[in-house]
Amino acid sequence: MTPDTLDLIAGWASLVLTLLVFSYLLGDNVLYRIAVHVLVGVAAGYIAVVALESVLVPWLNDTLLADQGARSDATMVALRVIGAVPLLFGALLLFKLSPRLAPVGNLGLAAVIGIGTAVAVVGAVAGTVIPLAREAGEAVGDSALDGIVIVVGTVTTLAYFQYWAVERGGEIRAPRLFRPLGAVGRLFVMVALGALYAGAIVTSITIFGDVIDAQIRFILDRVGG
Amino acid sequence: MATNSGAQRHRLLNFLATVIVISSGLVTLIGLLSDDGSTAADTARFLIQLVTVIAAVAVLAGLVNLVAVHLGRFVRAERGWPYSVLVLVVALVVGVLRILDRAEVWSGDLEGEQISVRVFESVQVSLESALAALLVFFLVFAAYRLMRDRVTVWNALFSLTVIVVLVGWVPFEDMDVLRDVRDWVVRVPASAGMRGLLIGVGLGTLTVGVRVLIGQDRSFRD
Repeated sequence: MTPDTLDLIAGWASLVLTLLVFSYLLGDNVLYRIAVHVLVGVAAGYIAVVALESVLVPWLNDTLLADQGARSDATMVALRVIGAVPLLFGALLLFKLSPRLAPVGNLGLAAVIGIGTAVAVVGAVAGTVIPLAREAGEAVGDSALDGIVIVVGTVTTLAYFQYWAVERGGEIRAPRLFRPLGAVGRLFVMVALGALYAGAIVTSITIFGDVIDAQIRFILDRVGG
Repeated sequence: MATNSGAQRHRLLNFLATVIVISSGLVTLIGLLSDDGSTAADTARFLIQLVTVIAAVAVLAGLVNLVAVHLGRFVRAERGWPYSVLVLVVALVVGVLRILDRAEVWSGDLEGEQISVRVFESVQVSLESALAALLVFFLVFAAYRLMRDRVTVWNALFSLTVIVVLVGWVPFEDMDVLRDVRDWVVRVPASAGMRGLLIGVGLGTLTVGVRVLIGQDRSFRD
């Protein structure tokens, strides 16, 4: 077998799988389900490979299975203990499978949640809130009218998603000030979602064109067209 | 008596979990806000590395569960068991091919080939591209159904924006105004709405994060 033969097999596999997926246009059917289960199988196998090769094996080699070299015995013990900690926490997660032992599994989850939350908080503030608020403010400098629309849009969109409520006459409603602001914000939200939706349509049309183009080229190459 | 000690054990474990969340979270937070090279920053980097390894173990545990579920369906000959066999066989083939690649068993013209990567590219990429291509039909149909089922001001505004942006993408001759309108809609009102949404998401993340870090939100124990 040569690499060219492998390419040929890969090309046929790609064509057949694409047709199986497109068969969904005729409704849910056996061919589509075969394609989806192949996708799940390949993804599962590949994720296992990546998790082992990229994370676990290097970690084990650097800690539990590390060579002593010039390190002292105490350093090696510390290294091995550190190496075992995430594996222990990971193993604790398995207890979540049993309702009775789930609180033990929470200990493994706790470290992930605590550290993940800290990363998310810093990411949200430094990567989202501050840069976007600054950009919205700076937009006024480029073109006054557009800048004002952007600032008003940003502020009213935030107002649309606030959940303060007052009770008036037995009815719970948003405060009077926020109702018109929320309505304006909703307008901007609809325009934003519409633009995103159109972007998704354009992207999928582009992918559709590329997929059809690649498969037709493959078929033409085979028939000598 | 036994129930009391069980409840006490649960309370103790939940207390320990809360302590781990707060302490690991605060140490990481302080480290991420510290200067590069400081002890706090190094500690935070180490903790994040620990979480990466825990996540990898969790992924493997999830895969073990996936295999157990599909094996169970096959053994009990439940409805759709042939699909389960397909999932298991394909996952096994990918794993075995990777092991063979690592062992460098291929010889002759195939020497040095990474066949598992080829399988991934031809199968995974093909399937994902085909699924993404299929999306166009469902997006267009969903937009049509939105207007057919219930016409409101907001639905109409949404659909109008979709049409304006799509028409703006079409390269009509001498119709630069359509492209200009699309550019303005995307650059000004749509970007304002997106900024508002993203800032809202950021503020929401911050609020929930602070609640978790001060121990007010302990929903992870459920």
